[in-house]
Parts: sequence; structure tokens; C-alpha cells
Amino acid sequence: MNAPLTGFHIAVHASGVAAAYAGRMLGGMGAEVVLIEPPQGSPLRQEPPFLPELGQTKKPLPFRSFGLDGPRQSKSSPGDWTTRNWVGGGVCPLDATSRGTTDPTPTPPLKGRGLGTSALFAYLTAGASSTVCDLQTDDGCAALTAILSECDIFIDDTPLASREALGLDEAAIAARHPDLIHVSILPFGAIGEKAHWKGEEINLQHASGEGYLLPNGLSVEQFPDRPPVKIHGHFAEMQGGIAAALGALAALRVRGEIGGQYVDISSQDAMLSVGAFAIQRFGDGSVEHRVERSFRYGGVLPCKDGFVELLTLEQRQWDGLVELLGRPEWAEDPALADSLERSRRGPELNRHIRAWAKSRKVEDIVREGQKLSVPLAKYNTPAEVLRDPHERVRGLFQPVEVQGAGLLDMLISPIQFDSGTGML
Amino acid sequence: MTRPLAGIRIADFTVHNAGPFATHLLSQLGAEVIKIESAMRPDAFRKPHPVYGRMGPATFDQVASTKLSVRINLKLPKGVALAKRLVAISDVAAESFRPGVLDRLGLGYAVLQQVKQDIVLLAVSSSGQYGPDKHFAGYAPLFGAWGGLSDLTGYEDGPPVEMRHVMDHTVGMNAAVAVLAALHRRDASGEGGLVDVSAREVASSFLGEALLLAAAGGEPRRMGNDHPRMAPHGVYPALGEDQWVSIAVASDAEWQALAQIIGVDDVRFASEAERHASRHELEVLVGRWTVTLSADAAAEQLQAAGIAAHASWNTVSLTSDPHLRTRRALVTVQEPDGKERAAVGVPMRLSKGADIGIHRGTPKLGEHEDYVYGELLGMTKAERLALEDEEVIY
Repeated sequence: MNAPLTGFHIAVHASGVAAAYAGRMLGGMGAEVVLIEPPQGSPLRQEPPFLPELGQTKKPLPFRSFGLDGPRQSKSSPGDWTTRNWVGGGVCPLDATSRGTTDPTPTPPLKGRGLGTSALFAYLTAGASSTVCDLQTDDGCAALTAILSECDIFIDDTPLASREALGLDEAAIAARHPDLIHVSILPFGAIGEKAHWKGEEINLQHASGEGYLLPNGLSVEQFPDRPPVKIHGHFAEMQGGIAAALGALAALRVRGEIGGQYVDISSQDAMLSVGAFAIQRFGDGSVEHRVERSFRYGGVLPCKDGFVELLTLEQRQWDGLVELLGRPEWAEDPALADSLERSRRGPELNRHIRAWAKSRKVEDIVREGQKLSVPLAKYNTPAEVLRDPHERVRGLFQPVEVQGAGLLDMLISPIQFDSGTGML
Repeated sequence: MTRPLAGIRIADFTVHNAGPFATHLLSQLGAEVIKIESAMRPDAFRKPHPVYGRMGPATFDQVASTKLSVRINLKLPKGVALAKRLVAISDVAAESFRPGVLDRLGLGYAVLQQVKQDIVLLAVSSSGQYGPDKHFAGYAPLFGAWGGLSDLTGYEDGPPVEMRHVMDHTVGMNAAVAVLAALHRRDASGEGGLVDVSAREVASSFLGEALLLAAAGGEPRRMGNDHPRMAPHGVYPALGEDQWVSIAVASDAEWQALAQIIGVDDVRFASEAERHASRHELEVLVGRWTVTLSADAAAEQLQAAGIAAHASWNTVSLTSDPHLRTRRALVTVQEPDGKERAAVGVPMRLSKGADIGIHRGTPKLGEHEDYVYGELLGMTKAERLALEDEEVIY
């Protein structure tokens, strides 16, 4: 069977992660994605982390060394890449004819200003093609109009104040393209008191409530006075991207009846929606706080050689845990058969569980625990996720030619259709 | 105004958080979602969960809103037969059991295809429908641990940080997108499909760039609130106890604006690279200014100067925010008993779909059986009573 969005065409004009990820997600499900870039390239090309140059890939390098510890040129050079080039590469073993691999034009440089290839840009744009449209010029605007006239969905994150001058405002797009699904993604949306506010990832995590609630568990226990800590990477912005994909596909379903429409996405809204739990708790009369948002027992367990996560929600899982612990005397206390009593005595239980875990190896605990159906997981590093035999079988990673960095295993898609791996 | 998924019906066997959040989003976009439980096996999230130190139900009210509720005892063959009748009149079936459970119940994908040839089956699980770990039990913190997201989250010198409900719900939002994609294909080709969403892989999708770096020989690691490029970048103390404001300076121009506001005049911080190298020193300087103001006042002043900033909000601030209310990202839901509560809406605004969102509060177990069994399936009262006596509708 075809990838589900085969035949749909999407144009993405993105300077931020949210809009780019919306395109990436739809592209991963089979849509044809074209990036609309200014002559100097999308600012995402300049975003760290950067990949090591080709030929240096075996040398282990710390994360930060791809950051800005070296000099950064202040002025960008004009892009020397031509239009309709393939951006992130994209090898598609399942359906090699779909796109990318047969294009005769040279691959454009992904490089930032002398900084190397952006891993972020490569991940977010894999499988897409790129076209330069200088929207400051009439020719550029005409080129965009021509592209949009053949597209089903347009995803744009241009700040509100700049849209009209570039012909990217809601009314102008609707007038020219009545059947287009026009998706606007901004940190705080296109309507409302904060529509003009700037928001980077860290701001969005705190504007949506989750930032205030992290860290939890062992981390906040160890560092109760430190400022809250953010979730890695671009979690909130990517929620905006996922919500945009949802809105775009929903609007597309009724296009035949009511034509195109404007979909207004706010990354703050999207991040808030996945934080629904804290809002429900508020409705129930309690204000969540990171210090109290810890499991009564279990959670992050330091082991001899790393960390495991333990979470037993059901009685049979607790029974399995007692078995795993070797039926120690404290755990056989009949009072602990009651889950409410376990909750009350959580810290006491945790002292025992932590003492037990400390002298044991992660792999041993996980192996024995899973046999007893105790929910346990190893805290995997990225390198361990890449090597994970489970993900190898599922084809989560596939080799993708990344310009300037060579053939690299890239995460394709967390969603599979028809028991086949995703595609780029 | 049109709710875009009007006319789509979903037979919803999902429980807990991730799966129900997917169908919750689809219900807000207009799909008719029929939640299937039984008194014997109600959704575990209808019940208290003491391990959280919480005696009330979890997110059940939120994710059950706008759904219809019916009872089916899937342990009995007649219950399975009834479930098939529901699937036969549905576009989508959704489940979040451990892989293999649906097959054992006699409701696996192949069976459902016989019942409804073009059915889209959404299967949400911790590790996916196949692969050596497919049987693993898991919850949000385990997804984050397996998927690598937790390893990269936390203070540089501290332990990894557990992912909580945001992890479940983003799995649900990913799944909702996938269901819509599968429905588009069905409409185009007449073919349904099996949608396999692995929660740990969703967790991994949030570190795609770090995984790519690792594939190239790099060793990404957790870095607290630091950004690999921006500085200042972090969470700073504001006036009052446990009050914080987040600030991210993305360019030299923004730094110059900030420097003026906080009264710092130092050429050592002129370039981004220099600021990044001096970020710990800068953190102190920025903090000296933020601590004199309320978090909201600091953010407003910085935004007025073109700098990205926002207070670190708790749920009191969130639920009273006019911006979120304007956008209907936060709404007030009235329960059948008249009690009102805050809830999150579907995170989008549609120019031709102003009526999307939550339409009803939490359904009581079996509340909609007159409609679903009576009207949709055309079952007689006698037929239903007989099934109730046999504990099939139970």
C-alpha cells in the first residue's frame, strides 16, 4: 500500500522548529514537502548542534563542540545552491522511486556559516526539497504563488508584523488560493494578546506550565533550590508542529465541501494541551508543584552502572517487585498489601528499594524485572537508542545521506503504517 | 461552521492516557467517539492512583470529555460479538492494550478487517506491535527512559529526569495525526490500515537531532537549561518565593537591548560566542535584575524590548490568563452535576470551524447506551436487557 499521504503537496516556510517539524511529520507519512527558503537559507541551517565534517565521524566529540565555542562569522554568504534541490537527502529503501534519490541536481550545502552541517536542520528537513523564493522581490512572490497554486497545505511561521509586506497574511493567501489549507504557526498563535510575543523553546515550556513542574523525582530531591530545568531540545515547539499537522489534515478533510481555511496554531497552546493533567488537577482543587510531583516510591533508581526507571501502578506489579527484590522482610509486612498504605510509606519503601538497586547492574535489574512483568526501563543514552536491537528490528533508523556529513542513521518516524517502516 | 471530522465514528477501546488523548483530540474535531469499558474493567484512570499520592482519578475527566460511554464485557464471547457490531459501523477502532491482547480477545486487525473491510485500526503501545520488546509494559517515565529523552533532560551534574503526562499526551497527539493520515488514504484508495504508534519511539522523535549527532560519533548529553548557541538562556529568579522567569537571547541586537535594561556595559559580552563562554557569569548578572521584579513584569518589559521571555507559570496563572482563554486553549467545562472545571481545548483555531472543542463533560459508565445500542445498532430493549442479565453489557 502507498504511504498514507501520497499525492499531497505541502509548502513549508519555516524559520523555526515548529513549522519545520509539521512539514517533517507530514513528509514522513508520504506527502511531498517543499521548503520555501530566502536567498540566504532558512535560519534553521545555522542552528546547532552541528555534525562533524565528513571523514571525522569516528572521533567521539562532545555535544558542545558543535556549538558556538568557535568563531562565528557575522555576515552570511549568499547561498550557492540552486532551486529544487534535495535538502536533507533521504534514502528510502521501501520505495526508492518516491523522491530524492533520482534527482540529478547536486545536493545543496546544509552548512551554516562555516559551522558545519546543522543536525537539527538535517533532521527536520530530511526528505524535503528546497526552493529559493526571495519574497522581497516580485519574482520571488510570483514564484511562491505558482508553488502554492499546486499545493494542498502551506505552513508558515513568519512573524505577524512581517506578513502583509510579504503577501503572507491570511487575507492575501485566501484571496489567491481559496482551496489552500493555510497553517500559521507562531509561539503564541496569531490571535490574542500575546500574538506578537517572541517565544523560544524555554519560554514556551514555562508559558505552558510544564517548565514549572520540572525537574521532578530524584532530580528535584537532590537540587530542591535550583531553577526549574527544561525538557531537552524543542519539545514544546514540536508539539506546535504536531498540532499543526493535526489541524492541516483535519481541515483537508472538509476542503471539498467548504474550501480552504486558515489554521491558527500556537506552540504554547499545543504544549499546554499535552500538559492537560496539571489543568485537571487544578480543577480538582490542587496546584501541582515539581517538589510534590514525584512518585511515592520507585522513579529514577541509581544503580551500579547507570539508572533505571521503576513504576508499579497495579497490585500485580507490586507483587512482581517484591519477588524481584527477593522477598525481603520489610516488603512482606502485611500492611503493605494495601496500595494506600504503600503510598503513605513511600519514602520508607524507597530507601529500601534504592539500597537494593545501588549495588546492582542496570541490565540485570531490567532483565529480571521484565520477566516478572515489573515496569522497569533502562535510561538509554542516544547512542544506546541507536544500537537498540528492538529499534533495529523495527527500522526506526535508516541510513540517510546527509550532505557534508555522509551516510548517517536517521530517525525516520515514530509511526508505522501496515507494519512497515516509515519513509523519507 | 463545520467540525471537520463530523461523520467519522471511532470505536474506542483505549485506556489510561496516551490512547484516550488521541481519541479525545479527534472527538473535539467532530468525530463520534464511543468509549468502551465495563464495570468489571473500567478504565484504570477512572480510579485513584495511590502511587502518585493522589486519591482522585487522574486525567479521566479531561480525556473522556465529549466521548460516548458504553459497557461491554470483552471477557465473554457475546461481548466480543457486540464489540464487532460496533466496529462494523465505525471508521476507526482504537486500542492501547499490550500487543497481542486484542488478538487474544478475538478482535485482532485481521478479524476487524473481516467485520469492516476498510477499518483503520490505531494501536498505541509502549514499544510497538512487533520487535523483541513488544511485550514490555510501560508508562510515560519508561517511554522517556527507553527513548533517550530523559537521559538528555536534567541538570548537567544530576540524574536523568522522568517524563510525565506530557509524554503520554504527545503520543496521543502523534497518534491522532496518524489516524487522520490513514483516513485520507482510505478515502482515496478504499483501503484501511493498521497504525502502529510506539510511545518510546515518539519519545525518541524529540531528540532526532541528538540521535543524528550520535550516529556521526558525537556524544550528546544533558545540559540543564543551557542552549548550545544562545546566551543568556535560562530560568532566572523573580521577586517572591519560587518565582521564575525564562529568558532567551537569540541575537546580538537582543543582547544589546537586554544589557541596557539590566545595566550591564561590558565589551566582553559583545559576541554570541563570548556570551556563551561567559554564560555562568551572565546568569548572575541577569538574575540580579530579574529578582527585583515580579516574573510577569520582567517578561513584559523584556518582550517590549524585543526579547523572548515568559514567566514560569503554575496552573493558577495559566487558568486565569486572558490570552489562553481568548484562544480557547483553556476552557471551562460544565459537568453533568453542574460542577465546573478548567480543561484544555483542542490546540488550534480553524477559520471555518469555530465549534471545535469540548462539547460535553465526563460520561458516566454506560451513559450513552440508548443512543449507541438502541439507535445506532437498532437493538431492542429486550435484547439489551438480556445481555445485561448475561453480564455482557456490564
